[in-house]
Amino acid sequence: MTLFLTVLINGCILGSVYALVALGLNTQYGVAHILNIAHGEFIILSAFITMTLYAGAGLHPLVALAVAGPIVFAISFVLHRTLYKRVKDMSANIGEFEGNAILVAFGIYFIVQNLMRDKWGSATSGYQFMAFPVRIGPADIAANNLFVLLWAVVICVVYYLFLMRTRTGKAIRAAAQDAGAAALLGVKINTIMALCFAIGGLLAAFAGVLISMKEPFTTVSGMNYTTIAFIVVVLGGLGNVKGAILGGFILGIVGYAVSTYDTGMMFAVFYLIVLVLLIVRPKGLLGR
Amino acid sequence: MAMLEVRNVNVSYGNVQALWDVSLDIEEGKIIALLGANGAGKSTLLNTMTGMLKPQVGTITFKGERIDNLPSDKIIEKGIAYLPEGGRLFPDMTIKENLELGAYPSKLWKTRKPDLERIYKMFPILGERKNQLSRTMSGGERQMLAMGRAMMSNPKMCFFDELSYGLSPVMAQEVFKIVKHLHAEGITVFLVEQNVHQTLEISDYAYVIENGRIVKEGEGHSLLDDDYIKQAYLGI
Ligand SMILES: Nc1ncnc2c1ncn2[C@@H]1O[C@H](COP(=O)(O)OP(=O)(O)OP(=O)(O)O)[C@@H](O)[C@H]1O
Ligand SMILES: [Mg+2]
Repeated sequence: MTLFLTVLINGCILGSVYALVALGLNTQYGVAHILNIAHGEFIILSAFITMTLYAGAGLHPLVALAVAGPIVFAISFVLHRTLYKRVKDMSANIGEFEGNAILVAFGIYFIVQNLMRDKWGSATSGYQFMAFPVRIGPADIAANNLFVLLWAVVICVVYYLFLMRTRTGKAIRAAAQDAGAAALLGVKINTIMALCFAIGGLLAAFAGVLISMKEPFTTVSGMNYTTIAFIVVVLGGLGNVKGAILGGFILGIVGYAVSTYDTGMMFAVFYLIVLVLLIVRPKGLLGR
Repeated sequence: MAMLEVRNVNVSYGNVQALWDVSLDIEEGKIIALLGANGAGKSTLLNTMTGMLKPQVGTITFKGERIDNLPSDKIIEKGIAYLPEGGRLFPDMTIKENLELGAYPSKLWKTRKPDLERIYKMFPILGERKNQLSRTMSGGERQMLAMGRAMMSNPKMCFFDELSYGLSPVMAQEVFKIVKHLHAEGITVFLVEQNVHQTLEISDYAYVIENGRIVKEGEGHSLLDDDYIKQAYLGI
């Protein structure tokens, strides 16, 4: 029973971060049609920004949400308005654009990663934050982990409400379903695409801030998060917001359960899940 | 001066020209029709009139103001609604959300609540099922929703692209009845159709387009008796 509870709580903690990471990638792909290989790099960049503010200036890690968030949002928006917009105008159709966009993202991946390595080296980094246990029933859970879970859930809920309730959120969902029809109703598609790419960056930044509070990271660990985001998105269904959140939690719980046995097996099991899913239900758990 | 005037418009997709020197008038308070076969250029003309495509040559004016250089949201705000071919609803959004998006331009968004109530009165079935996903509606109901969405912007003029396409004869008749009702409420109608007979019966004036050129025009009833129309479009 204790083991079950420990796995469930820790799995949800891991899953909440996965959900956040996947939500960002999903927004970028679902609306802007960019499969962003560089997603994880911006997560890591934000983790380093958080550490720098915390260790260097003594600022609470949450402050980094308001620093890394806008920085990555702005970088992403400008990247879309310049690079991706140009590539889109040069591509004959959306399929060709998707292919070209992956190449662009690869370029950005290498540039960002190497700039980070130049600045912060490749040693494992991290900092101590709320490093004490909290008793939940029979289980001991690290306080920083619970803090991360809380904030990840808050961010997911706020983003979900933004999509469901606001004018811009509805335009984003409409553009994801039928960009041409949305344009006919007066939605500025290029702006919405740039905005969605930037929101994906914002969510990556938030994920990076939270991740830095609970685990060590290196300038080269970005691809791990990108991979996880891909897996969650396949699990939940491309472009499906609820699916990304549900998929994140499922993968987190499964991942944590496997890692209590053997940490090395985690990714092997993840790939197995993807393989089975692609055969049995290629559109994802909630996809149609 | 007609409410909307298209003058000498040429439109191309890349190197392929789709519209050649197209001119037409839509008089206020009338039902004007545009008839033509598949690929004649009907939707291309509508997309040009709603700001989705820019003419290489020619002008479009609405109440005397140029609109051919305006973006779509500004054209909608001026009082022109567009019901595109196939309805183009958002399948994973509810009826209510689909309707709301009909009032997306910022000026219209502010009044969307009373506009929703107005549409629910016009189409009670939409109000009863406002939280149903549009993907789960029947073909006829979807066309109803598409009409409701177009009416959300409180338009003075509405373009309908092949409203009757894919509907049963009974349902098509129903849809034309609604168009006549909207017209009676004061909306100027531009009806783009392949359903020649039914369309000519309810329209005041009609244009015929072939290979991107207007080849014939005249009053609705007079075209019904026209030899060329009879032969080429009515199969009599
Ligand atoms: N996006 C596009 N790119 C290139 N050519 C196009 C495009 N859209 C339409 N065309 C071409 O322009 C011509 C007119 O097409 P349009 O869709 O306006 O015809 P239509 O009269 O609406 O036909 P239908 O009754 O089948 O809807 C056709 O030859 C079509 O192939
Ligand atoms: Mg057409």
